[in-house]
Amino acid sequence: MNWSLSPNWPGNFWLRLLIIAVVIIAYVMASVIMFIWMERRVIARFQSRLGPNRAGPFGLLQAFADTIKILTKEDIIPTLADKLLFWIAPAIAFVPTLMIMAVIPLMNGLQLADLNVGVLYIAAISAVSAIGVFLSGMAGNNKYSLVGAIREIAQLISFEIPMVLALSGLVIACGSMSLSSIIDAQNIPFILVQPLGFAIFMVAILAEINRTPFDLVEADSELTCGFNTEYSGMKFALLYLTEYSEAVVGSALITTFFLGGWRGPWLPGILWFIIKMFASFMFILWLRGTLPRLRIDQSMKLAWKGLLPLALINLFIIGLKTVFFPDLSRWISVPAYIVISVIIIMLWAIFMRKERQSFGA
Amino acid sequence: MTTAVDYNDLVALLQKQFGKGFTPATDYVEMPAALIAQVAEYMKNTLRFDFFDMVTAVDYSDHFEIVYRLQSIQNNSLASFKIKCSKNTSVPSLANLWLGANFQEREIYDLFGIEFTGHPNLKRIVLWDGFEGHPLCKDFKGKVYDTAN
Amino acid sequence: MEIESISSAEIEHRESDGIEVLRIASQHPIPDPDDWLDENIKRNVIFTTVDAALNWARKTSLWPVTAFTACCTFEFIGASSSRFDIARFGMEVLRASPRQADLLVCAGTLTWKMAPQIKRLYDQMAEPKWTIAMGACAISGGIFHDSYSVVPGYNHIVPIDVYIPGCPPRPETLLAGIEKLRRKIEKESISKPR
Repeated sequence: MNWSLSPNWPGNFWLRLLIIAVVIIAYVMASVIMFIWMERRVIARFQSRLGPNRAGPFGLLQAFADTIKILTKEDIIPTLADKLLFWIAPAIAFVPTLMIMAVIPLMNGLQLADLNVGVLYIAAISAVSAIGVFLSGMAGNNKYSLVGAIREIAQLISFEIPMVLALSGLVIACGSMSLSSIIDAQNIPFILVQPLGFAIFMVAILAEINRTPFDLVEADSELTCGFNTEYSGMKFALLYLTEYSEAVVGSALITTFFLGGWRGPWLPGILWFIIKMFASFMFILWLRGTLPRLRIDQSMKLAWKGLLPLALINLFIIGLKTVFFPDLSRWISVPAYIVISVIIIMLWAIFMRKERQSFGA
Repeated sequence: MTTAVDYNDLVALLQKQFGKGFTPATDYVEMPAALIAQVAEYMKNTLRFDFFDMVTAVDYSDHFEIVYRLQSIQNNSLASFKIKCSKNTSVPSLANLWLGANFQEREIYDLFGIEFTGHPNLKRIVLWDGFEGHPLCKDFKGKVYDTAN
Repeated sequence: MEIESISSAEIEHRESDGIEVLRIASQHPIPDPDDWLDENIKRNVIFTTVDAALNWARKTSLWPVTAFTACCTFEFIGASSSRFDIARFGMEVLRASPRQADLLVCAGTLTWKMAPQIKRLYDQMAEPKWTIAMGACAISGGIFHDSYSVVPGYNHIVPIDVYIPGCPPRPETLLAGIEKLRRKIEKESISKPR
């Protein structure tokens, strides 16, 4: 199916824009519903129990019940809250996730806009969503949600830098920032070609989307629900939706950059995209079911002392390879870089542990 | 296991320092109320009983008894004291010697009405300010809530 | 954000006044609404499908608020762990913020000192909301009924929908009580606001 921007579409490109926008929004919503169900059932299986199974066959209708219930709850606005910020903050948090999905190709040509600075666009827009979270924490006139909001901004800024540096490695390897050419360059998925970049990006994207082990922003035991303490009803539904659609976007970014996007043998591209996205979300859920939460100072230390130097080393090695060994056969470069990354990560872990022992954890 | 000191030896030591008035029993030493401040200071600084385990009070209908329990971490031993005092009495506070005594003495004041002189912050701790009466005394009449249902 | 600065003695004075006012105001239990047990509920306007859909959604996704007082909490925790698993009913999402929760599980003895906070928590919950009184102390004060500091039953402070007896009730009893609450929610109607 040819979804590309050819002038034979009736109505020039406006009709294509409309249809693909609707497809993307529908895809995000459907993925969010599936992700909510998957999260509850899969985490339950990790903890040796069943998840929701009363709500329909295998509990598939649980997300619908949650949504309908939240939408019909009473809408409470605290008296001393900043009314304008209170109203628009959830929207500011949600819309950037849809904006990032606009440049991700779901199939060959099925993307809303093939920007030739796609990676830069993604790095820029992913910060705006955190502004929405911060405003929602600030607008509620609640000191605990303000603390949650401050932690969110601190974490976002710290992990944005290693994420962008890991993506720069990708950009050097394929010579273009446009997402469709990154996918075209992945004859072998970049998870094998740049394993260190994948590891850094994985950790950084987990922190950007506030998932365990970095979900201290909404830690129940520390701040009652963090930034969304004062929200109820439809605004809370939008913040709840934002949390899951950020997970959708995070999985989609991992699929696009490191797993090869929609490419794969003998199934249509959209199915491969769905399979890879769900596989990366299963990995994210695996981490959630297994790992405890980091404290804010531990996560800052990880970002600045752990990920940032590794990202710079990664960039340096990729630069060296591209300049001095541009024609190295992939049978040599892929295993060599995997071995080098494992050695670097082990050395860095030993270094971080020595430092922790000398300063005290 | 933390073992109790030999109370006969303890009484001999205390009598050498402070004179008569101490009566040993199997599990505790009975002493007059006036000496408690000096004895506590002696126990903490000289005999190294540095861990204040508890202070509590018992209401026998005609008198109160205040029970102290001190522990020594270095020697792994404990010592128990009892003071007999009457109603509406005041006892010197040990909150300046051990911080652990602070809240416990407030609780005794709250529930029994015994005042501790020299306590930095003697006010109710488990009940609210406006509560009338001291509930754990045997002559506390009535509960807060009076309809039968 | 404005921060008022008052002394700690003033804080205690205000708390004590609040407790005394609440004590005087809660001498009689709030009457339980019994009309849901009646099969022939009279309704003026009948919304069948809308009611059915809303009631199904509200009973399938009841979110408790994490506010428990005493020992019955551990039976609730036992019910939410692997063996008895209230997650099957969609209730594993315990929201710490009362504004997002629907269910207040009153688990444990309530003292007069804690009572204004529970009332405040209940008032902060968004409509529609339900409460379950779990255990003997929540129903009537339990063995501490005659005490100087115990509220004889949560129903003097908040209205209760379902009473679960036991000291503490086993997790299966709690699940039976939750099922009773779900049957009660099924019979509600948006033409009669709670």
